[in-house]
Amino acid sequence: MTGSVPALKPAPHLTSPWRNLRQGILHVFLGFMAVVALFPFVWMVFASFKPFKELVQSKALLPINWTTENYTEILTRVNFEVAVANSIYSAVTVTVITLLTSSALGFIFAKYRFWGKEYLFILLLSTMMVPFAVVLVPLYITIGDLNLVNKLWGFIITGLWSTFGVFLMRQFMEVIPYEYLDAARIDGASEWRIFFTIIIPLSTSPMAALGIFAFLANWDSFLWPLVVLNTPDKQTLPLLLAGLRSIYWARYDMWSAGSVMTTVPIILVYAFASKYFIRGMALTGIKG
Amino acid sequence: MTTTARFGGGSRRGPAWDWARIRRVLRKSQFHFGVAVIVPTLIWYFVFMFHPIFQAFRIAMVDYKILDPQNSPFVGLGNYQKLLLNPLFLVSIKNTFTWTLYIFLFMLPIAMLVATTLSNVRRLRNLYQAVIFIPVVVSLVAVSLLFRMVMDPEVGQLNRMLDFLGIPPFKWMSSTRSALAAISGIAVWKSMGFYIVLLTAGMLNISEEVIDASRVDGANEWQRFWRVTIPLLSHTIILVMVLLTVGSLQEFTLPYVMTEGGPGTATYLYNLLIYEEAFTHIRFGTATVAALFQFVFILVASLIQIRVLRPNWSY
Repeated sequence: MTGSVPALKPAPHLTSPWRNLRQGILHVFLGFMAVVALFPFVWMVFASFKPFKELVQSKALLPINWTTENYTEILTRVNFEVAVANSIYSAVTVTVITLLTSSALGFIFAKYRFWGKEYLFILLLSTMMVPFAVVLVPLYITIGDLNLVNKLWGFIITGLWSTFGVFLMRQFMEVIPYEYLDAARIDGASEWRIFFTIIIPLSTSPMAALGIFAFLANWDSFLWPLVVLNTPDKQTLPLLLAGLRSIYWARYDMWSAGSVMTTVPIILVYAFASKYFIRGMALTGIKG
Repeated sequence: MTTTARFGGGSRRGPAWDWARIRRVLRKSQFHFGVAVIVPTLIWYFVFMFHPIFQAFRIAMVDYKILDPQNSPFVGLGNYQKLLLNPLFLVSIKNTFTWTLYIFLFMLPIAMLVATTLSNVRRLRNLYQAVIFIPVVVSLVAVSLLFRMVMDPEVGQLNRMLDFLGIPPFKWMSSTRSALAAISGIAVWKSMGFYIVLLTAGMLNISEEVIDASRVDGANEWQRFWRVTIPLLSHTIILVMVLLTVGSLQEFTLPYVMTEGGPGTATYLYNLLIYEEAFTHIRFGTATVAALFQFVFILVASLIQIRVLRPNWSY
């Protein structure tokens, strides 16, 4: 055995021309996927500014005769503003209360000791196994008994607690050191104060993830509002959009205008906060 | 020593029921906070979860009368029989299995491919990921309308593009043969970004050392993918498969908004059956029986996947 170490030939993927070519291929593929994801929306935005005749005839992406008539017609004919207000009201209420209940329960399950704690936790978790269809009918009867049919709160009240949220928050709060809580308790802070000034500020990243989750799930919710809310003044956006199918049969100009008004605000919010959306999703996936 | 928060019993010393101790606990801020959180939680879970779940078993066995629920006649297994005799029952089960199969066949390879690409690309990863994720955040109903326009056989953009490439037009959702596949393609397009993010995060989590070790051992990329990446990713892959199964078996919005189960019964999925039994035909009993079948099936399917696919090692 000679003492010299044979020189390693650099692996092919580390040499520059091959690597550049390889990276180039990856970029082409990802660019294609990005176009696939984005293009339908771009088409929809331009379609919403086309007059109906042009929309069904032209092959061009850009409108020849720009018009905003689709928007004015839809805004005057259906209760669009009401649906937006209903959607925002219910989604914001559910998100805020879900964040409060999930973080408070997460705190209790992570840091408190009391008889039956783990049993209670498992009992709550077990509800995640039950498909929504099982409770669809009984829940509708319950909402009827509470006199909440065709009221926005009939839709909101079923979303105020999130089992997934409790689970997520507990996972994160387990790692908060007990020393922080003890120090605050010795200084005479009440539990409420500890919760709002120590626990919540330390849990902002899972709360951001959960908040986005809760908001989108509620904003997008379709089956339950379809069952509970019946009249146009109580409709949420997804119900109104689905209703466009029959109000404007095959009127693609109206459909695209309505869809643009529903999706573009969300896409804009997402454009500025995409980091939190994606990090949140990855977070929940890895932890769950 | 750390003093954990406690309310209720806790100390090992002395009798458990001692008035002084109970009074002390009752005065504690932790106790107040705990009660203020737990009591409303229990009430909510009882009213909106546990009670409805128990009700479901009762409703499944009666001929539910909406106007006079107290006097709903007990029919035992009658609702089960009614459901099994409904020809749409088998049709919807067959459709739902086909649907789930399509979702798996389209989603898994595409998501794995994109995730592998994303984890290997050196620049712009976050931008690509952010753009591919966009369909996940937008409203599913808006997406349904969007694709009803894009897939219109006469004036839709998709057929125009095919025409441009010299491919004859396709009927998409207007034909019983392609409707289910077309809609499942939309479902994959809509939620692809979510699974890609999960898988990419899992792949980037695999430690550099393991990858380097396989390189030193002379594994090529293909071998590395199958022998290193896939096994180390198995937890994420199981999660993805369970989520896909649970989600696909419960799909409702897409077929409801796009085709209402049609043409014919081509896209009549199981949840459409449950919804129509309950709120179109007002047959609460059979709808709930159908839901209970679904419950059992999803439970078994998830457990089997977790059992069979779970790796019997750890690192």
